[in-house]
Amino acid sequence: MPKPSYFFSICFSILLLFISGEITAQDTGQISGIVLDAINSNPMPGASIYWENDVSSGVVSDLEGQFSIRKTTLPAKLVISFIGYEKSIRTIGANDGLKIVKIFLKPEDLSLEEIIIQERRPDQQIKSLETGKVSVLMETIRNIPALFGEVDLLRSLQLLPGVQTAGEGTTGLFVRGGSNDQNLIQIDGAPVYNASHFFGFFSVFNPDALDKVDLYKGNMPAAYGGRLSSLIDVSLKEGNNQQVHGEGGIGSISSRLTLDGPLFSEKSTFSISARRTYADVFLKLSGNEGIRNNRLNFHDLSAKFAFRLGEKDKLTISSYQGADFLGLEDSFGLGWTNWVSSAQWNRNISDKAYFDLQVYHSKYNYKIEFDDVDNGFEWKNNLSETGAKAQWSIASQADFQAFWGFQTQYYHFAPIELLPLGTNTITPIVTNPKNGLLNSLFVGMSHAFNSKLSTEVGLRAGFYNQVGRGVDYLYATPSPASSDDIIDSTQYKTLQNIKFYQGLEPRLAFRYLVNEQFSIKTAYNRNFQYVQIASNSSAGLPIDRWILAGTYVPPIHADQISLGLFHNFDQNRWEFSVEGYYKDFRNIIDLKNGANVLFNDNVETEILTGKGWAYGAEFLLRKNLGKTSGWLAYTYSRTWRKIEGISQGRAYNPRYDRPNDITLVLNHEFSPRWSAGMTFVYTTGQAVSFPIGTYVVDRQILPLYSELRNEDRYPDYHRMDASVTWKNSDKGKKWRGSWNFSIYNLYGRKNPFSYEFREIYNDDITFEKSDDGPVVSARPGVVMTYLFTFLPSITYNFKF
Amino acid sequence: MKKYWFWISALVLVSCQEEVELPLANLDQMVPVIEANWTDQRLYNEVRVSLAQSYFDSGSRNVISDAEVTIRELGSSKIIRFGYRPETFSFRPLNSNEIAKIGKTYRLEVKWKEHVFQAEGTMLEPPILDSLTYEFVEKKPFREDGYYIKVFGKIPFQNDNNYRIRIIENDTLKNGRNDYLLFDDTFGLNFFEEGLQLNYAFDAGDIVSLELYRLNGEMYDYFTQLVNLLFSDGGLFSPPPQNPNTNIKLIKGKSDVLGFFLVSPILRETVKIEAKQ
Repeated sequence: MPKPSYFFSICFSILLLFISGEITAQDTGQISGIVLDAINSNPMPGASIYWENDVSSGVVSDLEGQFSIRKTTLPAKLVISFIGYEKSIRTIGANDGLKIVKIFLKPEDLSLEEIIIQERRPDQQIKSLETGKVSVLMETIRNIPALFGEVDLLRSLQLLPGVQTAGEGTTGLFVRGGSNDQNLIQIDGAPVYNASHFFGFFSVFNPDALDKVDLYKGNMPAAYGGRLSSLIDVSLKEGNNQQVHGEGGIGSISSRLTLDGPLFSEKSTFSISARRTYADVFLKLSGNEGIRNNRLNFHDLSAKFAFRLGEKDKLTISSYQGADFLGLEDSFGLGWTNWVSSAQWNRNISDKAYFDLQVYHSKYNYKIEFDDVDNGFEWKNNLSETGAKAQWSIASQADFQAFWGFQTQYYHFAPIELLPLGTNTITPIVTNPKNGLLNSLFVGMSHAFNSKLSTEVGLRAGFYNQVGRGVDYLYATPSPASSDDIIDSTQYKTLQNIKFYQGLEPRLAFRYLVNEQFSIKTAYNRNFQYVQIASNSSAGLPIDRWILAGTYVPPIHADQISLGLFHNFDQNRWEFSVEGYYKDFRNIIDLKNGANVLFNDNVETEILTGKGWAYGAEFLLRKNLGKTSGWLAYTYSRTWRKIEGISQGRAYNPRYDRPNDITLVLNHEFSPRWSAGMTFVYTTGQAVSFPIGTYVVDRQILPLYSELRNEDRYPDYHRMDASVTWKNSDKGKKWRGSWNFSIYNLYGRKNPFSYEFREIYNDDITFEKSDDGPVVSARPGVVMTYLFTFLPSITYNFKF
Repeated sequence: MKKYWFWISALVLVSCQEEVELPLANLDQMVPVIEANWTDQRLYNEVRVSLAQSYFDSGSRNVISDAEVTIRELGSSKIIRFGYRPETFSFRPLNSNEIAKIGKTYRLEVKWKEHVFQAEGTMLEPPILDSLTYEFVEKKPFREDGYYIKVFGKIPFQNDNNYRIRIIENDTLKNGRNDYLLFDDTFGLNFFEEGLQLNYAFDAGDIVSLELYRLNGEMYDYFTQLVNLLFSDGGLFSPPPQNPNTNIKLIKGKSDVLGFFLVSPILRETVKIEAKQ
């Protein structure tokens, strides 16, 4: 794949040789220098050197790394590049012509400090107006020890303060008291409705395909909306316009490959990426025929194409497709697929005015099929969101910036279909489709009153219509309790209005710069959310039922205020921050006892509505630069829900309320070849309900639970992971590889995944009453399930 | 689907299980448990009253024998009185000929100490249970080989379509958590006319009885919630565990109460599996 570009590179070098020959002949004054490897100071033959304002002036370094290039009008910028190394740009002054210029080039994978400087200013947390925003470097994420060696974006975000996890190994995020469906996860601006593989144990993001990720813990800019608790803004990597690069890895359960480079010319680029698991392979090694016949895999594919259409215009097209499949015994299959695509046009109207237009489409579907003559069925569903967003921005002065625009989103939740197969005589089920149209206007501006006080204000106005085609039911009561309460129904045509809601979402932030190392920030924001998952389990499932706001389901909204103190020290090498927040939720939903929402056309009869609140303080000490980097975070937070019909109408904690949360992330580079990473996590146990007794009905011994929900706690959770990476530092080679050895749960802590309260027969927790013979004894017991104790993995990563 | 999720979880995860002890709270109050069945089958008509006990209390159940139990037929002055029978640990009608009658609504009343509990249920018309047939099925995915029974009948009702099937194999009630065969009209009811196949592999010579109950909505929900609780593994994929919603109300006194008052017709059919020819 990389050959064409490599060929062009060689041709270009040869061309430069000819050009340099001509220039030498002219001999109008030369600049001489030497190109050296920054790691070992070895001379680098074949490096390209040219003046930035005159590419045709280029030369290449000789076998000793030396070069001479014709002088130009000085001062001028000299560009030095070499495949696999960071490009260097050196300003050459008039006096430099008298000496030998030494240029040191850094290999790309060792330029961590440069990457940090480019992506995030060292004093950004002090100077910026944002609170509750964390930018995570992909390089940092790659260095975090990973479960099964699979570097995972969402699991890495769980290590940040204010972000909770549902449980061991899962990728669901619970940000500042919000539930998992209150996160807007988007790839290049297009939302992803199910961002997980393997029932939540891996996220859909292939780390090699990503450029960066920004996490907004509630205080998102007015240009974004639609979710209450967070925005996880993921950008796919754009290809470079010089030569084809590749990177990838071969891991314990999956392999991945990413290629990027110029497309047709240096004005356009591509980046394509693929990842696939091969758990199937291991299943086939099983001695059990039943397991051998199973299939279990997922894959991710992504591509991004960027085209520079001129001096002022740029077009970017991105697409991601990922799918899971589980097949059992050649007759049962469960699969789900995400496919999101977006196109973005960026135009520089002038030096101070910009225009961005984006269109996107996101589709999620699942299908379950049981191929059986007597009981076969096919169960499928899909949902989609299609949208467009236009934004104008101006930065007329250094102390004033503004943006405004609009966004249109169309939600289509297709009917859930369950169709019989074979001779199965069940009646097919096809629910009514649900559609929603959300139009939003937004405006925002930031202004510096003086050198110390700055503000950012914004307003987002959402106008939501639940629209046809579909059916809306009229109930005898305002809070429908049963489909028996239906007194009428109305059929609506396509795009005909069914129910209208609107909401104003103000965003306000202030920053006071006490000095160059210390600032105080405060923010208030309100968010509305018109789509949510009707579920009361803590972890997301592929078959979760998404519902739209409608006649009996109002949109949920949340208000959040936050205050933060930010301090940098030791020349911005260290960052320290404390952020406190209070968040108020309205129209939060939960489900009734035994609710059936999957095949129900009247989901509103299964829902209970109430309110919630959350508060907390987040402490973060972070070091980004140097051989040792990482962070130490502590969060104290509480989350409450109060919903009539649950917990006797009293306030209760959802499962993910975990008051104390400590995270330590460390990376250390011992040498150019060796580095190591370590994470330690400690959290309060999950809030759950334990039984207080037992009773007998219908010949069953049932656990008796308190009417108050989640009054108990799992034991505290803690775990340490570690990894060691060895890199091949032979920079002369095009292929560079590294080995990563990781251990998840280093000291083998048995953190409970679940407790099952049940009868234990014959003193054997695996004994099944119906299947395993006569019952000699029975007693109530507690069976703990735990996962992933001391789980080593190895991954080979490479770049070329 | 529950068993699929369990299977999936077990397959995907590197999981281990072990029995542990947790410092569970003790039950600090007396919670009566009432299990009342009022049917058109004399044998099944009884009311059991007991007390819940602490989780790790493995002692014998506290059976209440000093309660006062009656069932009143609403719309008439008829009261059926119950007396305690030590041999069955339950209350039974003093007049054993009394049974539930179709179309009648009944009110259960249990008085115990200063507490009075009441519940109501309507005796619904039974559907038609025609016959049981069986055939030998070779082994296939998710199924053992054996004789599989099909139930044929007809359900001519527009409302109150909530049913439970119980299976008795050679005089032993199948009573595991997989044995709650509950269905309503969510998937239509044609399958009952076309033949509902039971997911059990029987052997030749087995004598299999089937009982079909037609339940009130509250009782159907109760059993649905009970099954959810039996399958709850306490994990992330399970809803928060909750006691099934009882249809019994406290009328006087101050006490929680558990259990149910079931009023239902019972249809019963029996078949003996003959060896395949």
